[in-house]
Amino acid sequence: MSTQYLEELVSKNTAGDVIPWLATSWKEASDGLSWTFSLKKGVKFTDGTAFDAAAVVANVKHVQDPTTLSSTGYLALAKVKKAVAVDDSTVRLDLSSPDSSLLDSLSQPWLAIESPTALKRTQAVNCESPVGTGPFKVVKWTKQQSITLERNDGYTSPPKDAAHTGKAYLAKIVWRFLPDSASRYAALQAGQVDVIDNAQPDTIVAARKSDQIKELDAPRPGASNRLELNSSQAPFNDERVREAFIRGVAVNDGITSLFFGTAKRSYSLLSSVEKDAYSDPSLFDIDTTKANDLLDSAGWTTRDSAGYRTKDGKRLTVRFPVSTNQSIPAERALFEQIQEEAKSLGFDVEISQLDLSSWYGALAAHKYEIVSAPYTKVGPGVLGVLYDSASITPAPSGYFANNAQVDSRKVDALLKQASAESDATKRADLYEQVQKSVLEGYYVLPLYDQQNHYLYRTSVHGLRAMPTVSTPTFYDAWVQR
Amino acid sequence: MGATLKSAALKDAAPNGAALNLVRFIAGRVLGALFVLWAVATLIFFAIRLVPGDPAEAILGGPGSQASQEALDLVRRQYGLDQPLLVQYLDQLGRLARGDLGTSYSLKQSVSSVLAAQVPPTLLLASLSLVAAWILAVGVAWWSAGSGRVARAVSSGLEVVASAVPHFLLGSVLIVVFATGLGLLPPVSTGTPIGLVLPVVTLAVPVAGFLGQVTRDSLLDAAAAPFALTATARGEGPSGLFWRHLLRHAALPGLALSGWAFGSLLSGAIVVESLFARPGLGRTLLDAVTLRDIPLVTGVALVSALAYVVVVALGDLAEKAVDPRGQSA
Repeated sequence: MSTQYLEELVSKNTAGDVIPWLATSWKEASDGLSWTFSLKKGVKFTDGTAFDAAAVVANVKHVQDPTTLSSTGYLALAKVKKAVAVDDSTVRLDLSSPDSSLLDSLSQPWLAIESPTALKRTQAVNCESPVGTGPFKVVKWTKQQSITLERNDGYTSPPKDAAHTGKAYLAKIVWRFLPDSASRYAALQAGQVDVIDNAQPDTIVAARKSDQIKELDAPRPGASNRLELNSSQAPFNDERVREAFIRGVAVNDGITSLFFGTAKRSYSLLSSVEKDAYSDPSLFDIDTTKANDLLDSAGWTTRDSAGYRTKDGKRLTVRFPVSTNQSIPAERALFEQIQEEAKSLGFDVEISQLDLSSWYGALAAHKYEIVSAPYTKVGPGVLGVLYDSASITPAPSGYFANNAQVDSRKVDALLKQASAESDATKRADLYEQVQKSVLEGYYVLPLYDQQNHYLYRTSVHGLRAMPTVSTPTFYDAWVQR
Repeated sequence: MGATLKSAALKDAAPNGAALNLVRFIAGRVLGALFVLWAVATLIFFAIRLVPGDPAEAILGGPGSQASQEALDLVRRQYGLDQPLLVQYLDQLGRLARGDLGTSYSLKQSVSSVLAAQVPPTLLLASLSLVAAWILAVGVAWWSAGSGRVARAVSSGLEVVASAVPHFLLGSVLIVVFATGLGLLPPVSTGTPIGLVLPVVTLAVPVAGFLGQVTRDSLLDAAAAPFALTATARGEGPSGLFWRHLLRHAALPGLALSGWAFGSLLSGAIVVESLFARPGLGRTLLDAVTLRDIPLVTGVALVSALAYVVVVALGDLAEKAVDPRGQSA
């Protein structure tokens, strides 16, 4: 949504390369401790404020101000010490340590540049009428109902990969909030709306049969959707038990049937849109004989009356809290199928469907052995967030990102090197070693990319998803009436 | 029971009995309403804290936020969350007593302004649905009362199905048939009267089924009663008998249930407002609960409780009007 009215310093093209947006060029200092950006000239925010180096400095300060309460942006700029306006159209970011993910971070919507004049208003006003440099501007925001955007006629700053320059084609966009998947699709079919997001597998399949509706499949970047096995406590602190689970639980048929072929099986920690994604299907070949042998050798030799494996009188129970807010019905059905599959191996998978805060509560209290936690972030830097042992230490809120609780010196060292490496090839190689290490340790069962499907009427042309976080952009779009 | 009869007898004996009766009725209702509101506020205050998670976090962008310690501390001070629970509770009651519902954590707007925007659409939806439900229920009762045994069996079957059908199922089927299939009505609400048709029908049908069941049962009882025979003997036709005599009796249990029906309409609104993308209290409540927005959840609950109390009181008044004997209920 914000993609229509806010813009970032850099973007990415479909090949995954960083491309100019509000910044025309950039240079990393040889010691990696500072980056200098040249900014596009003559750009104005829709409130008339000039976009210049001072504006960027104000935005960095705003994000880093602990009272702003922007946690995602705050973390993304963790290594940035300060921003300095070198001249009107040049800005320098000074870092505490080299950060090879800096450009990836700056391409994300939560680090979009807002008007410094508008930022000075109270937070409530700012959230309701954000002011950016984008091709559209917010004119009306009715909470839970709709947002009306109008074209910014003075627009001059499309990203490098846009199909045209100058102002947008559409004069107005009405963004409506339709929470129910089936009625969203019905509204699209009836022509009440032209585009819908978050299309579910059943409607995607229905849409594929229609000649009036087209699909845009735009997986989210960052991590794939995956099951993480908590290696910090029994029974998954034993690698043999983790391998047994991953080798013994078949998911391919479930994914195909429950998602009606709309989701492709992943064998990677990263989303398929990440060019550094490393994939190894052979690690996930199903071998139930081996899985059973592994469990025997790990001491889970006896079975109780219900058929579950036991050791020293304790059942092989694994708790699997599922967030109903962060999973779709098809996915929850898949989890139940996984539960059945694991039962034949002797695992007692206890699924509990929880609301968001109870779910985070269960994770913070380490009351889980399996979890599926989506994580969206541009670039392979997400590996550092998810698998560095430092991410086991909880934030003040109790949140921690390393749910598999991978605690490996080797992985930590590789991540540190990768984060400081400015050479793209070397960096990709380091991240590949990280991914190999985690995959081969059987911490993670990848399922599929984080699903993100748009459906739109064939009268809509020029719609695309941003190659950064796969949000739709309507700058190049037009509607045939 | 004995007490009720005795007071009824007293009322009849006293001069100005009717006026006194009304004052007592209103005073009783106001006290009752205050008690209900206090109970709701207390229940919500403590219940929402049983859910794991930090309210400060809910303010800072919802559960799972990675807010810094500074941000958490700041918010705790700003919202008084660093105070002992009992102090927070008394503070909260004090604010509510002054009519201050606080500021929504997630919307960063005053709860009263959110409610001012969200109450009218839900009230409109629920009231229209209640009216529609009564029309459907009485219509079917009238038709089946005037017709034969087959009609009675059919309508009775319809009522059972109608009262059991879940809102999301009925709503989805209506969308598929009337929007996608026939193209007659918009699948999601448009803010125009035509957009209200499907949501109102979705909400009204289950309630109509329930009202129809109780209305028809007492209709049959009334039809078998001696006064019906007397009326017929006086020359009353079937239609006049139904509207002037039978319905007065038959509507009583239904009217007593109207308060309940309104409550079920409010809870049904949660599903229907999401399904048809209508603004309103139901949807607001759903989002507020998900985001652990304590002030907003409290506000919605208080308004719903108040609406419920008012409707029950109106239902009782309607009952008194229909049944001048006054001692039933």
